[in-house]
Amino acid sequence: MATKPDSVYRGMDRKAAAIVEFTLRQYRTKNSTWVVLGVGFTALALIFMIYIAAMTDVVEAVDNDGDSYDYDNDGYPTGQEVRLGTDPFDGSSHPGLFDPPVVPDPASMYVNEDGFDWDLSASGPTATMGFDDDGDCLDENRTASQKDQNDNGIPCDILLVYYQSVLTSGGDWEVLADNGVDEDPDENEYAQEAIHVAFVLSIGKLGFVLLLGIFLPLFMATGLIRDEMSSGTMHFLIAKPISRTEIFLYRVLGYLGIVWPYIIALGLLGALITGFLGPSDGFFRFQDLGVWLSIIFATMLATLVYGMLFNALGVLWKYGIILAIPFAAWELGMALLSMGAPETTLLRFSVIGWALMIIDSAAMFVWPNLDLFIAMGNWGGNGDGGWLGDSSLEGSNALAFAASKPGLGLSAFWSLTVSSLVLLFQAVMLWFIGGALFKGKEIQ
Amino acid sequence: MSENPAANHRPPPPNSEEFAAESPVTGKGRMEAAWGSTEGDEDITVQASAPQRGDGHIFQQIYKPWDGQLNPRWMRNWSILRHHLLGIFKKGHRPWGVPIRLFLLIVFIASLSDVGLTIISGLIGDSGLHSMWGISRDNLYAHVLGFLPRNMLYYPVVAALLVGGVISEDRQHGTSALYFSRPITRFDYIAMKFISVAMIQALIILVTLALYYFAEIATMGRGWAWIIDTFPMFLAAMGSGILLIFTYTSIGLALSSVSSGKFFPGIALLSIILGTKTLAFIASNLFDREILYLISPYDCLAHVGQAIIGVEPTYDQYSWTWSLAMLVAMNGLALYVLSSRVSSMEVTRE
Amino acid sequence: MIPDFDQQGKAETTAWQPEVNVPAILLENVSKSYGRIFALSNITLALNGGVTGILGMNGAGKSTLFNILMGKLKPSQGSVKLFGTDPWKNPAPYVRVGYVPEHEKMYDWMTSYEFVSTFARLNGLTRAEAGVEAERVLEFVGLSDVAHKKIGQYSKGMRQRAKIAHALVNDPELIILDEPLQGCDPLARTTIMNVIRELGRQGRTVLVSSHILQEIERITEQIVILHHGRLLALGNLHAIRERLDQIPHRISIQTPTPKQLAKDVIDIDEVYGISFPDGQNISIQTHNLAAIHSQLPRIIVENGHTVTAIDNPDDDLASILGYLTGGGGK
Repeated sequence: MATKPDSVYRGMDRKAAAIVEFTLRQYRTKNSTWVVLGVGFTALALIFMIYIAAMTDVVEAVDNDGDSYDYDNDGYPTGQEVRLGTDPFDGSSHPGLFDPPVVPDPASMYVNEDGFDWDLSASGPTATMGFDDDGDCLDENRTASQKDQNDNGIPCDILLVYYQSVLTSGGDWEVLADNGVDEDPDENEYAQEAIHVAFVLSIGKLGFVLLLGIFLPLFMATGLIRDEMSSGTMHFLIAKPISRTEIFLYRVLGYLGIVWPYIIALGLLGALITGFLGPSDGFFRFQDLGVWLSIIFATMLATLVYGMLFNALGVLWKYGIILAIPFAAWELGMALLSMGAPETTLLRFSVIGWALMIIDSAAMFVWPNLDLFIAMGNWGGNGDGGWLGDSSLEGSNALAFAASKPGLGLSAFWSLTVSSLVLLFQAVMLWFIGGALFKGKEIQ
Repeated sequence: MSENPAANHRPPPPNSEEFAAESPVTGKGRMEAAWGSTEGDEDITVQASAPQRGDGHIFQQIYKPWDGQLNPRWMRNWSILRHHLLGIFKKGHRPWGVPIRLFLLIVFIASLSDVGLTIISGLIGDSGLHSMWGISRDNLYAHVLGFLPRNMLYYPVVAALLVGGVISEDRQHGTSALYFSRPITRFDYIAMKFISVAMIQALIILVTLALYYFAEIATMGRGWAWIIDTFPMFLAAMGSGILLIFTYTSIGLALSSVSSGKFFPGIALLSIILGTKTLAFIASNLFDREILYLISPYDCLAHVGQAIIGVEPTYDQYSWTWSLAMLVAMNGLALYVLSSRVSSMEVTRE
Repeated sequence: MIPDFDQQGKAETTAWQPEVNVPAILLENVSKSYGRIFALSNITLALNGGVTGILGMNGAGKSTLFNILMGKLKPSQGSVKLFGTDPWKNPAPYVRVGYVPEHEKMYDWMTSYEFVSTFARLNGLTRAEAGVEAERVLEFVGLSDVAHKKIGQYSKGMRQRAKIAHALVNDPELIILDEPLQGCDPLARTTIMNVIRELGRQGRTVLVSSHILQEIERITEQIVILHHGRLLALGNLHAIRERLDQIPHRISIQTPTPKQLAKDVIDIDEVYGISFPDGQNISIQTHNLAAIHSQLPRIIVENGHTVTAIDNPDDDLASILGYLTGGGGK
């Protein structure tokens, strides 16, 4: 025993491991831990079930240009009559009177017959794209000016003009299409893709970063120090040759030891479900993994920062949770703001704004053409399928809500780096503040 | 040897629990016999007198039954209720904590915003402003059931702060024993806890609603005709407010009864109200399926409120009766949990 | 609430070397006040080696003193040194300290083996070393047969012993026990007292607080008496009593023949008064307790009196405190 004092301080990693292990075991004995983790899983499972239902549903095909109808009841859809030059509104004029008579096409041939032929990788300020698959624009009976209504010198194309916004780093695409080009797209194909992407982004931002990211720390991190202090067991911890800043850190590490694997597991589960069920050419959407990794990463950083913060609030004051609740409400507002106006300066004073930027950056990597894709869906073929003149396709509004560009106006890589560093910096600062508060705390 | 009479005079082996009645009553010996406040291995008979024949003393035990009149049940319950309610305002009753009282004050003042705007627009006399702020179906609905900010930042947080420790603290501190050793039933106990929490919320939601209505009458000089016209919708708003308070309170108290912590019920109530709302919002926004709104207490309340106040419904995939049924189910479950937990609660300190 | 930036950074876990030739505990003019109430007032105290009992009524400042020693409270004035280092600023000296807190709450979900070994690792031991040490100290306090049972199932005395084991696991030179006997049954008391005496015999510095004089008397004679936050007396318990010679002591003797005994006792010079509280007792008043105690047995035996009890009713904490604070007897 006499040799002990010389070899006692052999690195704080042993202390760290002891406290982390202790904290994990302590969580394991609490019912509330399992309730919280179980409820989180159930809530996300519910949403995933609805996603599965939506992905297996087929969005009803809409005949955007109305050429599958047989207005004159002669048995021939309008599209066929127009193509063959008979009068679609005159029952006595139809291709059945030809010699030899033409067999009527099924109406379904004229639904979704002119899909999108867009090059989504195009960049501003102007781009031209689209192709008239069903030939109703390139019809030789039409004049050159009828074929080129957008006056860009190219017949039967779609002109896209990009307007840079004065206020924000983003902008809008204006779609100027020649009549009859890409006018009857496949709603199901677009909706599946758009809803899939919107789902991944929404569940990542609202489900993971917002709900898990705030409520897990609220439930689990607030009492890390405070519970020990109020139950009197803190005396065992602080009567050891270990500084309180270290105790603070190791307790948070113990909390992360249970929260991070949970987030990773849920995130990978989400990646698997959406990867297999999402619309794709292969059997798995491998490119989405990047976004899912960023969702996991952003949630991990958010739980780290919130964990430090709520733990520090618990140290600061017996009723730390009361301070945490308005803060959580503030972050909720910031999350909504971030999804609507990601460049707002106010977001820089939040945690969630930075965390959501990580997801936006990764989305920019993986789906670089999201804004053009949204513009495409909003335009939606410009047919008469929608009500009230809104021709947008199903899913484009949801996608427009869920997707946003990283607000700093930097490239995807730099936004990712900067936001990760800021979050880490916030965590370290909160650690120092929490540690200093804890050190200055008199405990009885 | 045994015939030796001297042997009979030897005192019998001392029984340590016997004490002479004449010995000075220091309390010490008795205390030690009863509680063992000494180490226990010393010979306790040192302090006891040598017992002699006929020295035993039996104290006369007289139990005097209490023959007072027990106050009626409502009066005992009223004292519980009063204990909780007055704690909001002054000391000497249930302590609610300064931050909670501060937050209640802030929310009370913030809830009066439409009252203030009504008065201002009434004083200015601008009918355009007044049509925006004055009493209307939409504004009455918004006062009770508007999501932002009232049902996001005000009412659920108030409910969360109030229910936080209301039962769990009794369990934690062992003060439930103070209640259950009195002539009150467990039903009285939860009922009074329930009513006191609900009444504090009513002070914030319903009293401000009534003030709003009276502010309109006072500043705009409304007559009987107007009152007869609008009173039904005022009552409907009151009713949906009562439903809201009841639902938040029953869910919150159920959470408070299953937890021994003070903060868990509060956070859990908030996460139930805001979490289900967020989930349902994701589902309806992405997939155009409103079905998840049925698991959100707030949305069920809002849907039922829209129906009884008579504003344009914002949920159009199912009838409001579904929401009502879900509310009944939620409250039923919560009250079941609450009553079964409280009836099986062990009166110990946890 | 405001962070104390005077504190040094993290524990100097490798650099800290105890200063040589300093007492284990050194308090100089330490005061601790809460507003206008002084929990401790101007305490100067140096302790090194042996078992010391800290005596005081409830609220006398015993726990405050320990909390200051354990760096849980910051003294309002004065300096505290544990092996020459201020514990509020640097937790490093705790590597040589074992502390048994007064609080009853423990980690009920752990076994005592897990409890002791986990906290041993906070002293820097590896997992394997901690396991060995935990077994050693659990054996020492007599818990090795229940070491793998949950603490939640333990009786009060076993819990106290588990706490003591946890404090001993780092082989400390200074052991601080805050009310270790509180609420224990007689058997547990005896075991714990034996453990404490044994620790003192091993040459460690042991501090034990209690508000019951008899408990402390059975462990040690070296005492510190605190009263209302002030240091009232310090040193050998009986020496302190001797110093109080100007104060009358009472000896109460229980006998069936009080009058006869009184006749014999009156011959002792130091006796200045005898009274008969009842027919079974006599009460002797004296200034010199030791002289009476040396002569009394001889008188009783020589004259063949039957005596069933001899008691010093004043020799408890309350009466000592009463004398020391000038209030007289009880």
